[in-house]
Formats: sequence, structure tokens, C-alpha cells
Amino acid sequence: MSLTTTFAGRRLPLLWLAFRTGLYSVLTLGLYRFWQKTRLRRWYWSAIRPGGLPLDYVGDPFEKLLGFLIAVVILAFYIGVVNLALMFVSFSLFQGNYAAYLLSFIGVIPVWFYARYRARRYILARTRWRGLRFGLAPGAWGYAFRALLYWALTILSAGLLWPLMTFQLEKYRTNRTWFGDRRFTQGGRWLMLYRSTVWLWATLVPMVLTLIAIGMGDIVSIIVLSAATGLTAIYGLVYYRVDSLRRLTATKQFGNVTLTLNARPLRVLWITLSGNLIAGLGASIPALFMLGLFLQLQSTETLVQLGLENAPQLLRDPATWLLLALTAMSYFAIFLVWGALRHAFVTLPIWRHYAEALVIDSAEDLDQLRQRPRDETTQAEGFAEALDVGASL
Amino acid sequence: MTDGTPAQFFDGLTAGRHEVRVALSDDRQALQIAGDSLPEPLRWPLADLRALSDTSDASRLTLTRHMHTDDEAPRDPARLVIHDPELIAWLHRTRPGLFRRDLHKGTLPKLAKWAAGSVAAVLLMLFVILPAMADTLARIIPIEREVAFGQSVTRQMERFLGGKRVGALVCDNPEGKAALNKMLTRLTDSREMNYEISLQVFDHRMVNAFAAPGGQVVILRGLLDKARSAEEVAGVLAHELAHVENRDATRNTLRAAGSAGLLTMVLGDFTGGAAVAIIGEQVLSASYTREAEATADEFALTMLENANVDASGFARFFEELEKMEGKSAGLPGYLSTHPVTRERAARAEAFAAGQSGTRPILTPEEWKALKAICD
Repeated sequence: MSLTTTFAGRRLPLLWLAFRTGLYSVLTLGLYRFWQKTRLRRWYWSAIRPGGLPLDYVGDPFEKLLGFLIAVVILAFYIGVVNLALMFVSFSLFQGNYAAYLLSFIGVIPVWFYARYRARRYILARTRWRGLRFGLAPGAWGYAFRALLYWALTILSAGLLWPLMTFQLEKYRTNRTWFGDRRFTQGGRWLMLYRSTVWLWATLVPMVLTLIAIGMGDIVSIIVLSAATGLTAIYGLVYYRVDSLRRLTATKQFGNVTLTLNARPLRVLWITLSGNLIAGLGASIPALFMLGLFLQLQSTETLVQLGLENAPQLLRDPATWLLLALTAMSYFAIFLVWGALRHAFVTLPIWRHYAEALVIDSAEDLDQLRQRPRDETTQAEGFAEALDVGASL
Repeated sequence: MTDGTPAQFFDGLTAGRHEVRVALSDDRQALQIAGDSLPEPLRWPLADLRALSDTSDASRLTLTRHMHTDDEAPRDPARLVIHDPELIAWLHRTRPGLFRRDLHKGTLPKLAKWAAGSVAAVLLMLFVILPAMADTLARIIPIEREVAFGQSVTRQMERFLGGKRVGALVCDNPEGKAALNKMLTRLTDSREMNYEISLQVFDHRMVNAFAAPGGQVVILRGLLDKARSAEEVAGVLAHELAHVENRDATRNTLRAAGSAGLLTMVLGDFTGGAAVAIIGEQVLSASYTREAEATADEFALTMLENANVDASGFARFFEELEKMEGKSAGLPGYLSTHPVTRERAARAEAFAAGQSGTRPILTPEEWKALKAICD
């Protein structure tokens, strides 16, 4: 018995939900973002229906807020002290502050991988299907260690070992993923992912041709060929992502159950390009409006010098006040419109495409699965939230 | 059991799907759920019914029950999925608490406790630990490193003010420079300075002066244009020298590095949070600036006193600034980095009244040369 997956959700309600909750987040100085995230996830999860039965997201905004507060207490000391100390080191050893920014970025990388794994664990622990919980076994530091190791190998091999990293990290995650009382296992070998790199290799052709054109100094061919190089490279990256996911999904096992993902790279590329274009066009409306206001606000020098000490004098003038308020509003409107449009025109179509491409084979014995115990994950995704890991959904 | 509307039921214990029929119980107080695969019919009291919210599809309603469990929310893990539009409409109509959020007991007190804890942690960092650390570290930084850093800051500043290349804005009329150096020597002669001062004038119309780390002091031409006597410039210079000796710029850079990281973290990734973080950092440094400015004023006055320079020039400069503050149309630069208050002017004036035996810091010719340093 094969189960296909359907997706039941339309753009307009999502656009409205994303815009509304985004607005609340701005109005509450970011506090509502825990609710926003929860509500958007509920919506997406309820739209994805393997075998016609929707997923169920049961995460709670209050636990997210609590997890965030816990992370703030822990990280307040870490980030504050580490940043200051790094600035000091960079002061004393190098001439500038750039080294400090670089170092503080590097110092946060292990915590970043840790946070990503924790966030995934939280999300899976709060996802249900047919009434049963998913789960991810603990192992965030192990994941961070491996991620660092394989990233180092990838960089040292100039990207040649990238498939190794993709495979090993996916295997680490998959072999710790549960649905009900049964565990997933990742089969296959890492070498199979080299097939997915084919379009990245293909980028070499226009790249070499571009170099030849540069050698000959023909401007028109240089422009045409470097554009071709760029496009092939983008397609190569998307193809690698989609095709490696396809292969990794086909080699996953869940008891007797197997999975097939029929996602198409070209479709994903098209959604990404067109969706971001639409979102960009939409966001440019408040952006242009803000630019106009900016020019209104006297010279740019005024803005640069706008220290807060001067705020009282400035605010005595109602016209300036209105102008400032409008500028602030259009500034936030840029992010709001961009975020909401991206949900409607990028995230939704991509998820729909992936969902509809997923087939569950030999699904007969799913009925035998039993519930798994609750994973408390007190910190929720607090670390990911505080470190801005970018796993927004 | 053939009456009622068909629905799907998941018991939250296995993945099995139960095809059931749902009907209102005889006493009209509960939903009766019955199916061949269920060992016995279930009774869900209407008062306890809850539905999943924010779902993508209004044509189905997923029900659960309010119940004391150890789940995220106090709810039964079992789910009842209804498709019958009539029943869905009826539930929406008659059950106002259908989408109510329920919290475990103790959630809010726990939240309040951690909120207080994290606010305390952040405040402690921002107002106690980071300033104290910045203080200590600013003192143990090797001076030559500080100087190198200060030079790169000055270069950045020059570019920011519109200098196309390094040194493009530097004014180097020899007579003007000689006058400037005379002023500097007169001020610093009376005391041991920790830093070797590198003093420059940038050709820019802004009325401002600043001290970068490691003894880098820059006066902008606008300030020379505005000043009516050499003593006014000497007052400002003494004030900037105070910042140098107190290592204010270094300290501020160190502190800001810590607090900026902290503020970014607290605001997380909500849309447009960066702007709020920048404003927050501005407010913070403003509060530090005020304190540092007062200290620097005292230092400057002592310096003027020791060099026998009339401090009323310094006072007059404040008054001049206050006038500019009145017509705030084009915000003058000095104001934004040096908050002016009436008290500061009054303090300088009172100090000047107590001075005796002062002599001019520059001759009229030297003062003219200084004003023409950028020509």
C-alpha cells in the first residue's frame, strides 16, 4: 500500500496570517514572535497530509518564551563577556576591530550547530501524525562536533568532500529520529551523492569559456558567458540540494516502510526565483516610500548626527515628528511585506511541492506503531532564537 | 450504532485510525463517539471540547479535550477529526470556548520568575559587569596598540566626513599648525600626559571635535569658524584632552562591543530588530556619555586653570552652542556628541569668575593664522 501526500492550504489566508502576526511582533517589540512562529507552524503542519491525514503541531508559545528567557540568562554572560574580551584581544594583537567581529563569529559557530540540533529536536517533539509523536534523541553536542569536523574537511578539500558532510550529518540526524516507538535508519553510501553534484561540475564549462573570453578581451562574450556561469552555478546548487535529498530519502528506512521523494530541481529553482522576485517587488513599495521620506528629512548628515540627546528638540517640531514616525513605519513595513510575501510565494509553494512529491510505500504496518513518551525539551528552541540561527520554521 | 455523523478518531496511543460515528448524547451534554474498532463508546463532555486553531483548511475541524495531562498544553492527546459541515457550524455556534487556550497551573509564575531573572542578568551585564570590565581592560591595553587603533578610527572618520583619500581633509598651513601646537604645549605643559597627543584639523564645516583612542584629537574647521577667541578653542581642546587621558574612547568601544552583542541577542530575529538594537545602544551610550562629559569638563577646567587660560572662553562656547540649539533646523555636530546643558555653561562661568592672573593663549596674529589653517 502506498500513501501519497496532499497539501491543503492556499496563499491568501497564509499571507494574511503572516502579515497580521508579523505586525503584532513589531508592535510588541518582538515579544509576539513566539506566537507568530507557533501559529504559522500550526498552519503549515495542518496543510501537510501524508495519506490524507494532516500533521499536528502542538508546540506552545509560552514554552518558547520560557526557553528563550532561559537561554538569555545563560547567554547574557557568555556573549557579553566573550564579545568584550575578543574586542580587547583584537585591540591588543591587531590594529582594528574587524578581527574581533571575525573571532566572535567563529566562537559562536559550535553553539550555532548545537542550537540547530536543539531546535530540530524541539520541533520534532511537538509534531504529531495520526496522534503519535515524532522525536529526536538527544545528541546536540555530538552533532555540533561532527558538523565542525565535516565542515573543516569540506573546506580543506576545497569542497570535494561536501557530499561526505551532507551524508554524515543527515545520517546522524536520521538515525536519531523517531516516529512513535520506531526509529528511522539512513541507508546508502556517501559516494552516491556525487551523482547530485553533476550540475556543479557542469559549471566548469561556461567558467572556462569565460576565462578564454577574458583572455581574448571580447566584452560581449564575457558578459554572456559569465551570466551563463552564474545561472549554471545557481541551478547546480539547487540541483544538489534537491537531488541529494531525493537520494537520501530513498535510502531511509522505517521498519518495512520506505519513502520516495519525487521533487524536481527545476521547479524548486523557479519557485525560489519568481517568489523572491515577487516579494522583492512588494517590499520595494515601502522601501521607495521610505527613500522619499529620507530625502525629506533634510540632509543625510542630519540623520547621521541624530544622537538621542537631540530628540527632545527635534520632537518639538510636529512636522519632523510626523516624518520620523512615517519613516519608522515604512522601515518596519519593508520587513513585514517581505516576510509575508515570502511565506505566500516561496515557503508555501516549496513546501507544497516537497509534500506532494512524497510517497510512503509499504505503509501497512504503520497501524502497529505505538505512542512514544513525551520529550520535555524545556529550553524549546531558546538558543536558536537567541542566536538567530535562521531556522525560522 | 448507526446514528450520528461519520468521523475519524485517533486515540493518541497507537497510530491506528478508527472510523467512528459522532452524535450528541441523550442528555445533550456530551459528544458520543462510537465505532467498531473502539472497545467501548467514548463520551466527551461538551464543556471540555477544544479545537485546533490556525489550521489551513476550514472544511475540517480537529477536536481534542481539555484534560490534565503532562503534555505541552493540558489536553488529551486523542484527536477527533470531523468533516460534517453542519456539526462544525454547530460547534462554532454553541461552543464559545472551543478555541480557548488552556495553560498548565504554574506556567505564568514560572514565566515571571525567568523573565525577572533574564532582565536582571541583562541589566547586570549592561550596567555593572561590562562597564567594569571595559574599565579594567582599557587600562591594561598596551598604549602602542591603542594608538594604532586610534589612527585607524581617525582614518575611518576622515573617509566618513568625505575625504577621498587618507590625509585629504588634513589642514596643514604651517603658521596655523604652529599656533595650534603652541596652544597644545601651553595646556599640557603643566602636567604629565600619559599619551603623546596627535592633534589635527579636518577641513569640514561641521562644528565639532573628537578624541579617538590613543591620543588622536581632531578639530573640525567649522569649530574654528564659529569660535570668537582662541580661548574658546583652548577650552574645547582641553575637554578633548580630558577624554584622551580618561581613555573614554577606548573604554566606550570595548563596552559597546559587549552590549551590542547582548542587545542583538535579546531582540532575536524579529523583523527589523536591528534598528531597535541600534537605537538601544544609542540610549545606552548616551547615558555613559553624560557622565564622561561631566568628568571631562572638570578635568578641562583644572587644565585651563593650571595653564592660566581664561575659562570664560569655554563658557562662552557653551552659550554659543545653546543659541544654535535653539534653532535646531540643521543639527550642529558638536551637540550630538557633546550634550550641552545650562549647568555646564554655568559651571564654567562660575569657575572663570574665580580665576585671576590669566594671560592670552595666542597673540592676535597667531589666532588669525589658526583660523586660516585650512586655507
